[in-house]
Amino acid sequence: MSFRKPSVLPGFGLTFGFTTFFLSAIVLLPLAALVLAAASMHWSEFVAVVSSPRALGSYRLSFGASALAATINMVFGFIIAWTLVRYEFPGRKLLDALIDMPFALPTAVSGIALTTVFARHGWIGRYLEPLGIEVAYTWLGVTLALTLISMPFAVRTLQPALLEVQRDLEDAAETLGAGRFYAFRRIILPTVLPALLTGFTLSFARAVGEYGSVIFIAGNLPMKTEITPLLIVIHLEQFDYRGAAALGVVMLAMSFLGLLTINLLQAWNRRRQVQAAH
Amino acid sequence: MSISLEQVTKHYGGVPVVNDVSLAIGDGEFFVLLGPSGSGKSTLLRAIAGLTGVDHGRIALHGRDVTQLAARKRGVGLVFQNYALFRHMTVADNIEFALRVRHMRARRRRERRKELLRLVALEGLDDRLPAQLSGGQQQRVAVARALAHKPEVLLLDEPFGALDAKIREELRRTIREVQRELGITTVLVTHDQEEAFAMADRIGIMNLGRLLEIGVPHDLYSRPATRFVATFLGAANLFLARHGTDGIHVGAATLAAPGQPAQPRGHEVVAVVRPEEITVAASPAELGRGFVARGVVDELVFNGALERLRVRLESGSGAPLLATADPDAPPYLEVTRTQHEQRSFELHPGQSVAVGVRRVHVLPTPLSSFATCATSLGEAEELARQPLLTELATRMKTRISVRCEPQLGAGEARPGADAPFVGATVIAATAGAAQRAEWLLQNGASEVLVLPAQAAAPQRVLIHWLDEAARGATLAVAASVLRHLSAAEAENVGVLHAGPGSGEVARELARRLARSPAQMLIVGVADLESFGARFSPLLDGGRWPVLIVHRAAS
Repeated sequence: MSFRKPSVLPGFGLTFGFTTFFLSAIVLLPLAALVLAAASMHWSEFVAVVSSPRALGSYRLSFGASALAATINMVFGFIIAWTLVRYEFPGRKLLDALIDMPFALPTAVSGIALTTVFARHGWIGRYLEPLGIEVAYTWLGVTLALTLISMPFAVRTLQPALLEVQRDLEDAAETLGAGRFYAFRRIILPTVLPALLTGFTLSFARAVGEYGSVIFIAGNLPMKTEITPLLIVIHLEQFDYRGAAALGVVMLAMSFLGLLTINLLQAWNRRRQVQAAH
Repeated sequence: MSISLEQVTKHYGGVPVVNDVSLAIGDGEFFVLLGPSGSGKSTLLRAIAGLTGVDHGRIALHGRDVTQLAARKRGVGLVFQNYALFRHMTVADNIEFALRVRHMRARRRRERRKELLRLVALEGLDDRLPAQLSGGQQQRVAVARALAHKPEVLLLDEPFGALDAKIREELRRTIREVQRELGITTVLVTHDQEEAFAMADRIGIMNLGRLLEIGVPHDLYSRPATRFVATFLGAANLFLARHGTDGIHVGAATLAAPGQPAQPRGHEVVAVVRPEEITVAASPAELGRGFVARGVVDELVFNGALERLRVRLESGSGAPLLATADPDAPPYLEVTRTQHEQRSFELHPGQSVAVGVRRVHVLPTPLSSFATCATSLGEAEELARQPLLTELATRMKTRISVRCEPQLGAGEARPGADAPFVGATVIAATAGAAQRAEWLLQNGASEVLVLPAQAAAPQRVLIHWLDEAARGATLAVAASVLRHLSAAEAENVGVLHAGPGSGEVARELARRLARSPAQMLIVGVADLESFGARFSPLLDGGRWPVLIVHRAAS
């Protein structure tokens, strides 16, 4: 690699310098501080905090609900992206703009809105209650909130990928005798799989880190509807900074592992395709 | 018949993109659909494949009506311009796709794949991904894939569009060879006339959604029937010539008109002269009977085998008229000369030459040109600027001349100038239009267009003939008009029962015209008896363009 290639932007040296500086100042340094804070604990103390039943329950909810939300978003995000890409209908632009609303809204507002609708006497909640379905103050509510706030990630990563699936491909499959489902499974899905995985990753990552919207609808019952970020806040309110840091380190590690796995999966998938070529 | 289309029509947003197309393609035939972009040729191909439904008409493949059948059950192979290969699959998987769908056993699939790869000369590339192949190779894979399930019909949608010239040539040959070897009926869509000539057994030419002409390449080139085909297939010089008893008069030349009945009255016709049928010489004497006019070499381009010239004709009396929409445009002729001709008479720009014509072809089109006619020159000139008229003339690549006739419509008076009325005479649809139309028809005009100042391009053309003798001519004129109106649909009004001489027929036609806006009427007449009186309710101050076609019963 050459460090001096003429280009519109300043040379590699300068841009790489900025990159490392900003990454350090904004991402790495605070994370290191977090790990350091946790490291000042005694090992047994650390284990006691992060493996308490309450903490374990919160991990299960946080990561489980996030994975569920990301899965839901893959399915419905695909359908929404497909509709927006493939069809011309009145109000398409408006709908397209609406997708980004969860980005722009303060998450607490999303939480309040969801609670209004899904609480026991809310607009929808009152009809669900006789059916025995309770949304607010259960894990269902947590999943719902996480689905809402992470939905734009799934749609926005799938849209460009679907744009590239030319209609000709479906037409070709059809003239070759393939039914709709066969063409979808064998042609469309494999083509957009990388984007689908990326969408899942981003949705999942966003959902794991969510706090604001969940606390309103979750009810925050220990062991049941308490997410890890909330548990961290509770530790903080009791001035237990080191306990909070310990939980933070666990979240950090688990999120990193999750993202790494999916990235490796993607790389493997790409390699497999290239290998098939040789 | 392998493919038969009957009156296939397809609309997009109310506009017909395929308009009343009927066509029969024989077994093993290589048929090319040729037309400019937006002519509806690709839509027609997709309709045959079953990827686009039709609004009206019938499609049959090998005698089986498939109009309502899904594309995957039609047994066609389709090749796209952008290859449409499945990028995540290897060449082998692409080719075997149709076989896998049909649950063919792996061994037989492999055999078939090997056979197809040999056919398209891509042996050994089974395990490549499409991205690792050149454009030409990708399109070969697409052809092999389309043939895998042994379709009865192969459809090719501009398959060479994305390839460079040399690869294109090669692939053309391969496809033609494969097609001959398999004897498969093939339809190729293209906008490239050279490609059409190179590959087709027969060519069908489309424009504005209509299939204008069908024929073997040589016939279409040498004897086109429409202006569009004459100018779209190769270059053509269009003259407004006079067809007399002794032949076709173009400028000073009189040429034989093979297969054309002599016209005693000196009828105006549109004559096609191909650039290679024009000769240039130093003096008229060298050209003999073929001498047309003098001209000046304006531009000279040498491109290998041929030399292309643009010759500007000298104006003056007796100069030939070119059929162009703009009467002020300088009269240029396109000429090509072979190496042999170049050697015998060398040319340079600015040189004055004598221009001759070897051979003309007369278009059987009934409308040669338009002439607006009024009692004052100013009115005639204003009428010549009417938007519908200028649009029609532009599309027909013909001219609008103006004519002042002070006695227009005045009873027994004869036309002022001794020149006969040529082309379609256009008059304004003001009060007294019916009387003026009758006067023009009595005095030799064959077609009279009564045009309201506000008339726009019609969506619908009503056709009616008052006398059986005028039927053929009316239909010919209507077909010619319809060819040049993109969105128009024809409706034959049929027989209207009414007493002779009464105005009942005209009133009924007026009622039908009033039903929806943007309509036009083409009416044929043989007997002019009291025509003006009968048609005054329709024509005097009428709101619709009415084209009257007069052919006397023989």
